[in-house]
This record gives sequence, structure tokens and C-alpha cells, in this order.
Amino acid sequence: METNNTNSFEPKVVAFVCNWCTYAGADLTGTSRIKYATNVKIIRFPCTGRIDFMLLMKAFANGADGIIISGCHPNDCHYTSGNFHARRRWMIFRNLLDFIGVDVNRIVFSWVSAAEGAKWAEVVNESVDQFRQLGPATSYQKLIKNSEFQEVE
Amino acid sequence: MARIGVFICHCGENISATVDCEKVAKVASEFPGVTVSVDYKYMCSDPGQNMVKEAILEHNLTGVVVSACSPRMHEPTFRNACAEAGLNPFLCEMANIREHCSWVHEKSDATTDKAIDIVRTLVEKVKRNEALAPIYVPITKTAVVIGGGVAGIQASLDIADAGHKVVLVEREPSIGGHMSQLSETFPTLDCSQCILTPRMVDVARHPNITLYTYAEIESVDGSIGNFNVKIRLKSKSLDEKLCTGCGACIQKCPVKKIPSEFEQGLGKRTAIYVPFPQAVPNKPVIDRVNCTYYIKGKCKVCEIVCPTKAIRFDQEDSFVEVQAGALLLATGFDVLKTNFFPEYGYGKYEDVIDGLAFERLASASGPTKGEIRRPSDGEIPKKIVFIACAGSRDPAKGIEYCSKICCMYTAKHAMLYKHKVHEGTPYIFYMDIRATGKMYEEFVRRAIEEDEVKYIRGRVSQVYEKNGKLIVRGVDTLLMGQAVEIEADMVVLATAGIASPGSEELAQKLHVSYDKHKFFSEAHPKLKPVETNTAGIYLAGACQSTKDIPETVAAASGAAAKIAGLFSNDLLKRDPLIAVVKKCAPPLYSSCTGCFMCIPVCPYQAIDKEEIKDRSGNIIKTISHINPGLCQGCGTCVAFCKSKSIDILGYNHDQVCAEVEALLNEW
Amino acid sequence: MNNLQQKAQQLLESGNYGLIVGYEKGTSGKARPVFIRKAEHASKLIFDESCDQNIAVYLYRQEIKHNKKKVIVANHHTLKSIVELAAENQVFDGDFMVLAFAENGDIIELNTFEEIEKHVATLYHGLTEAEAAMMKKIEDMSLEDRWAFWENEFSKCIKCYACRASCPMCYCPTCTVEINQPQWISVPSHTLGNLEWHVMRAMHLAGRCVTCGQCGKACPLELPIQLLTYKVALDSKQFFDSVAGTSICADNALAIFKPEDHENFIR
Repeated sequence: METNNTNSFEPKVVAFVCNWCTYAGADLTGTSRIKYATNVKIIRFPCTGRIDFMLLMKAFANGADGIIISGCHPNDCHYTSGNFHARRRWMIFRNLLDFIGVDVNRIVFSWVSAAEGAKWAEVVNESVDQFRQLGPATSYQKLIKNSEFQEVE
Repeated sequence: MARIGVFICHCGENISATVDCEKVAKVASEFPGVTVSVDYKYMCSDPGQNMVKEAILEHNLTGVVVSACSPRMHEPTFRNACAEAGLNPFLCEMANIREHCSWVHEKSDATTDKAIDIVRTLVEKVKRNEALAPIYVPITKTAVVIGGGVAGIQASLDIADAGHKVVLVEREPSIGGHMSQLSETFPTLDCSQCILTPRMVDVARHPNITLYTYAEIESVDGSIGNFNVKIRLKSKSLDEKLCTGCGACIQKCPVKKIPSEFEQGLGKRTAIYVPFPQAVPNKPVIDRVNCTYYIKGKCKVCEIVCPTKAIRFDQEDSFVEVQAGALLLATGFDVLKTNFFPEYGYGKYEDVIDGLAFERLASASGPTKGEIRRPSDGEIPKKIVFIACAGSRDPAKGIEYCSKICCMYTAKHAMLYKHKVHEGTPYIFYMDIRATGKMYEEFVRRAIEEDEVKYIRGRVSQVYEKNGKLIVRGVDTLLMGQAVEIEADMVVLATAGIASPGSEELAQKLHVSYDKHKFFSEAHPKLKPVETNTAGIYLAGACQSTKDIPETVAAASGAAAKIAGLFSNDLLKRDPLIAVVKKCAPPLYSSCTGCFMCIPVCPYQAIDKEEIKDRSGNIIKTISHINPGLCQGCGTCVAFCKSKSIDILGYNHDQVCAEVEALLNEW
Repeated sequence: MNNLQQKAQQLLESGNYGLIVGYEKGTSGKARPVFIRKAEHASKLIFDESCDQNIAVYLYRQEIKHNKKKVIVANHHTLKSIVELAAENQVFDGDFMVLAFAENGDIIELNTFEEIEKHVATLYHGLTEAEAAMMKKIEDMSLEDRWAFWENEFSKCIKCYACRASCPMCYCPTCTVEINQPQWISVPSHTLGNLEWHVMRAMHLAGRCVTCGQCGKACPLELPIQLLTYKVALDSKQFFDSVAGTSICADNALAIFKPEDHENFIR
């Protein structure tokens, strides 16, 4: 959790994106000089199919307030079907998190193509707004705090 | 211990206008493992690159993070620079603080902080990078071309002319495909066989081409550079070496009433036959289904008359295996069959025929010697109706697509008819006229204006027989949907082009993808039109989607150029960022459980099974194995594998985990 | 001697079979697994309502894996797990014989995977009414209550991994939880690490859980962790029409896809 001068809550957001569509789309956002919130930092993957659900667990365990997952639109995958596999994975995973009481609104899934620089800025800004409204991931942070305590002990 | 160099680029002011580059460099210098951290105006300039090279040498760096623009921009530049200084290029990473930071945020502390986070993340990644070497796969410089139509012929000649061996496999007794059936071709009206048959002969004569006709692909394994193709040579009941192609057997064969496939059933052939006079090879095969000897056990007239004793009644199918570096699919197309159009009486009335049959009627070498005579009584039709889009663009019939070639050949048919039957009247029912090739629109205009072809924009609802005439009922949408009825002598359907029979089975044998209409899928609709998703397998012509001759030939030459390009090296260099099944010491050997659930995950069929054996050859366990020649590095199997037995170089578990942790935890 | 005991005795006496894995009477009214190698011990075997443990987990245990003369007495959970293990290439056709029971109590001999698959097709697949009620109870809670419920349950977990040991589908020689480079899951059994472990276990059972509930039964702290795997099993069925333990050749639900798979959350 970061706080800025006005003391409003600024969520920590990590974005897992595929190399071919969303990473390139985010490059286009840059070359188009479209502005978006600084909260989001990108980690590059070859394909959404590579994104292990365990990495999302890792992100939450390391204090992420929100996560963005983004890749190629259906039928546009550089590897033809990685995004389809990823979609199935997220369908199951998202429901499981919901079942244990994790607010799935803390994870935003999107398809952003290499041509959608403006969409990437929109996705980032809307997600950050959404995470701001949800506030800090306190329920998870409580667990993190407890775990640190126990490990020191 | 890691010794990482961090190089922060100002990119003129592109980065430094919003990011405090000096601060980033200072903070980064204190990251654990960072030996040197500097900032510079233009890192990609020669002096900038030299800074990186000198630092590598001076500090004996184990990794480099260039914090500048997108890796899509300058990753190759800096990786090359590192390689020049003796550092493995895969130990260099780009931290994207321009496109993903300075350009998308205002000047602020938060922007600088984000740049620091990005650099820290990549420092943690690069600490875990491994030195990698490109993968080299040896290439067998032989191409197997499947399908001997104009696409296969053109590609075979191009590849062979480039100096490589070609094995051309054709399912029918002769090469030539549908183009050899055509009368004249649009928009020039030159004779199809006159331009094709010399090429067919070239194929047969070319020293680099081995031709197998009456043959099919039995199985394919291996991968790009090294396919093993097993070809079934169907028995021709003939010793081809002895046969001189004199044709005595064909003349004497007592079974003469078999509808000829080549003539679309309009002509007849014998049981021992060549499909057409210019066939290549011009040697007969025995059609065992119709041959009296195979049905009744006696006849053997052909054997008696054969001057070279070439007939072999007991010949069985045989197999040849070919080692090939690349495969080309050129299996062409087919047209819809009679059962598709009960409303048009196709299959019910002899004088309702399809476009290919009309080609045979119009062909000088066809069953009527080029005279337009209707099949039922041989009369010359006075009124003829052509129905375009018979099946195409008709979602109700399950074919949404436009077959693309019908508009043009229908115009050609009407024109040919008019040229041969001056007093006759040709009508064309059409939906739209799509004439989008060089000289195509002019050709259609000529049909309308010079040859007075009557174009009627509308659909035909029904064709039925009345008093010896075929009544064609339709509407003219340009006359406010007014009903039109034409008493025709003959009807020609421009039936939709569909995938060649057996396409699906072949695609499954070769592991190439295909669409719902069973046409093979290209790797990318724009940028990889002649490649398939399976490396080393290419596409040409109408097996991908219906195409006209110029497009088919262009695609064939394109695919041939790709294959010749592949064959121009002895070794195929591939990016090493691929997935691997991890191995470990005995007794475990690998944590892979051998569940093989990952096999269907791979879009490239790169995963197969590997047996781990002891010294005496006993199988200890069977685990997954990833073929480095096929893996493209998507990593879907990596995320899928439950035992984490598969990892991917360049994006491995350790790297991505460290990135997540570094990104979220300030040092 | 009852039919099962007589049958077991015959099989062992015939010399064609050398080991029978089944159930015997345990303590406090429960049944427990038993391994019988001698005909005179066949009378220990029982099969009744109390035999609800899924014993497919023993089939691939190192001690008996290579014994090709074994017989397993299978309840319906065990049967489904055998089918799923076959689909996942962990047990092999002809390596064992199965003794199952018809509704009237008659013994059915199943020798091949095909026969087992056919028999399993006649069984009920899905949750019992009581189990479905437990699922509904949790699903009906508010998000906060669900979190509180699971936080409380996970806080009790001691990471003994009895859930893993009891599950026939947890056959990996090296479990992800034991990998320390990277350290996917924190080692101590604090709530965070426990949550990660249980989420991972459930995800790894997507499209594979036969809803036997053995993990929950094995838990010494009686945590309702079987509900997590039920959740993924129910979703696999609902989204992908995939039911584990029904086909010896089906691909895993997450190993395949359909372009028309429908979700409502991707922007």
C-alpha cells in the first residue's frame, strides 16, 4: 500500500501481460503518449497461457491490491491457443477464489491487442479506479502480517 | 555472486523529461548484486553501447539491465553489444522505462519510483537468467509436395529449380488436378491444357523431382528439417518400368462404359485407363472395382495384348519412406455434389450440370469435342441458364463463404457458349458480381456488352421439367423482385468450392490445423499465408480456401520460396526460449509423472513421450519430452504442469517469481 | 464366510492372484484398508456401508505397484478414481483385477479398463444431498463471511498433508509445495501458507476430482477442505461438461479448450 500527499489510497497493481499483444499494445500507449495511472507495473510473459495461477497467489501474498491479466483477443493468439487455455484456467480459478471469499474484483482480465494502445490506458485507469474503491486488500494483508510474525517467532 | 550492470538511458529527453534518471541510477546502484549503475543521454548510440561493453569487461559483469525503451525496439541491439563484449546475449534484459513509464506518466516522484521498481524487477530477473545458445536443427533438403494440381506442379518446379530434391505425391493416376479439366481460362481465354501440360511434362522430366502418382500419404512423423513420410503406392496392377504407354490394353479392354471421372461423368472410360490423353505419367492403371478379372476372375485381355508383359494382376500396395525437411500441402478443392441441390434438380435432370462438367463440354478434347451439346439428347441448347452462388454465401446450407472463382468462370462459361452457339441466349442469375482481379471487371463487361450475356440479379428458387424444357424460376431483384421464369434447355450450377475429400484425415496425420469447412489454416491470415502452425509444413492453393489459378500459382511460388529459404542453410537456427522437461538425478530421473495430460495442451504437437532406460535397456519410466524443433515457447504447458516438471527458458519459474516479488517489495 | 471372503479365498488359492487390497473392520465402527496375501486371512475382508474410504490411492504405491497379481475391492469412489488414474496413465490395463458390487450385493469381476469404465457409467456421479447442502451453505454466505469462514478453517491447518496422502490423484513424486526454488508456498503452517496450499491443491484437481471427499475424511482437524475440490469439480462440469472418473481416454478439462468457451469477466 502506498500513500501519496493527499493521503488517498494508491493501490499496488501488478499486470501480467503477454509479449505479443498486450505488451505491444502498452508500447503503443507509450508511443501515442496516452497517460495512465503510475500504479500499474508490467511483467512480460510470452503468452497468457504461461501465466501460472500460483503467480497471482504470489502477487497477493506480496501485497498486491489488484492484478491485471491481459493478452491477445480470442483467435489472435500468437501461439494460436494459449489464451484459450488461459481463459479456461481463469474461469475455474476465479470461481475458486470467490468461493474462499477473495474479492475477485481485485483481478481484472482483459484482451488488449497490439493495436489497442488506447484500450490499455482505459483498462489501467478503470482498474486502478476499481481497486481504489475496493481499498487496501486488508483481509490478505492481515494474513501477511500474521505470517511475518510467526516466521520471526 | 551476481555482478549486474545497470544502464539507464535518458533517450535524449524522452525519458529524462519525466523520470529522474540520475536518481534511478543512484538507487539502482544500491540494489543487491548491482556492481555498476550509470545513466547516459543515448544508451543506444555507439558511445552508449561502448559504455556497456567496457563495463562488462572492466567489472566482469554476469548480467546487464539496459533501462531504456521497449525490448521490441532495442533488445537485439544491446544483446549484440553484450555478445561483442563476450557476455552471453541472453544475460541482457531491457527494463522498459520509456513506453511503459516516461511516455505514459507526468513528471513526478511516482513516475521515478515506478522506473526504479521496473529496474529492480529486471535486475532480479537477470540475476536468474541463464546463458543460452541458439538451437540448431539439421535440415534434410528434400521437400514432399502433396497434391499434383497446378499448385503442386508450380511449387515442385520452383523448389527443384532452386536445386533441391522434391517428392511429388498425387492421389490420382495422373498429375494435373482440376486445371487439366478446364477448357479455357479467364480472363485471357487461353487454353488451360496448352499452358498446363508443358509444365506437367517438365515435372516428369526434372532430375530433382520424384513423382509418385496413384499414391497417398500413409503417415508422417518427425519435425521441421527432419520429417519421415511414409507413402502408400496404390497398386496400379502394372509394372511401370515395362509399360511403354502404347495403349493397346486400353483399346482392347472389354469394359468400356465406366463414367469417366475426368469427364465429370459425361464421357466413358475403360477399366484399364489413363484419365486423359495428356496424362503424366501416360501409363494406365486398372480400376479393380470395375475390372472383369477382379469381379469374375477371368478376362485378362489386357495381359494378352500387352506387348511388354507389363500387367501385374497380383500386385499389392507398396510403401516408400521419404526423409524430408519440409512438407507442402497442395491438395486443392472439390465442388459440391448433387445431393446439395434438390430444388435445382441437380442429379435428377441430366441437363442440370455443374461448372466442371460445362468445362468438359466446352473443352476441345472433351466428350463433345468442344461442342456445347446437352447430356440428355446431344442437342445444342438454345437457352442456357447459369446459376451463380449455388451453395456459396448460403449460411442455411452451411457455407457462409464466397467461393470466389464462380463469378469469373460463370462469365467465362456464358461467353464460351455464346462464341460456340451464336444464336443462343445465355442467362446468369447472380447475387453480386465479384470481379476483383487484374482485367477481371473488363472481362465481365465484355461478357455483358459484347457477348450479350443476360445477367439477372436474383436467386433461383426452383428448376423443374415441363414439356422437355427446364423451367427456371427466380426473381429479378432489380425489377422490384419481379418473378422471372425462363424455359431453358440446359442449366449450369456454379457449385461452391469445398475442401478436397480426405482433407481432415490428412490434416490430422500432419497435425496441421483446419477450419470448420476443413480447409487448412494458415499460420497468420496476413503475414504467414503459406505457412501452417506446424513448423516446416506449408500450404499452397485451394486447399487453404478456394482460389483462382493466378492466386494459386502465386501461393505455390511463395511456399516454394519459403521452402527454398529454409533449405538454403544446412542448419536451422531457432530461438532457445523454449520449454523443457526438467530432469534430475536417479532414482527420480524427473519429477514428471508421465500423466501426459500436457500433450493436448501444446498448440504445436511438440510434446511426445520419452523412455528413460537403464544400461541394459529396461524402461525405468516414461516421461514427457518436448521436441526443441517444434516448441515455439508459448509456455502454456509450463503453467499447466502440476508437478512443475516443465519450465521455459527465459521465463522460468524462478525468474517470474522473483519478478513478482521484486516488483511488489521495495528494497 | 460370505461371498466376498469365499471369492477372495478362491482367488488366492488359485495362485493366479497374490494380493487382495480391500477393507477390514477397524476401530470405533470404521473400516480400514487391509492387504491380504494368504487365503486363510480372507475372512478378514468386509464390504459394507462403513467401507467408504477411497483405496485407489494404494494401486500405484511403490510396494505393490509392480505386483501384477493383485485384486482390489472397490467402492464407487475407488472405481471412479481408477478410471481417472487410467486416463492419467498412472495405472495400466491388466495390472489388477477389480471386485465391485452390484446393487443387490452380487460381486462383479472387472478385468479390463473397458469393463471398469462401462461399470462406472452405471454409477451416480455428483454430490450427495448432504454435500450439496454444505456447498450451498457456503455459497449463500456473504463474501466477508466466506472469507471469515475459510480464514478460521485454514488457521487450524497444521500442513500434515494427510489430504494429499489420501487423494488418489496426488501422485506427483515431488509436490509443488516441496519445491523451494522458487518457494511457491510458505513453509510454516500459518494461515497464508495454508490458504495457498489449499488453493493450489484444489486448482491441481480441476477436472480430476471425483468428489470422493477422502481429503476431508483424512483431515485430522476435520477441515471441510473437500468442498474446495468439489467446487472445481462442479465448475468443470458446469463450464466444460467435464466429469472426472468417467472416461479412460478423456483429456483434462484444462488441457483442452473450445473457442466458444463462455465467460463474462474478460474485458
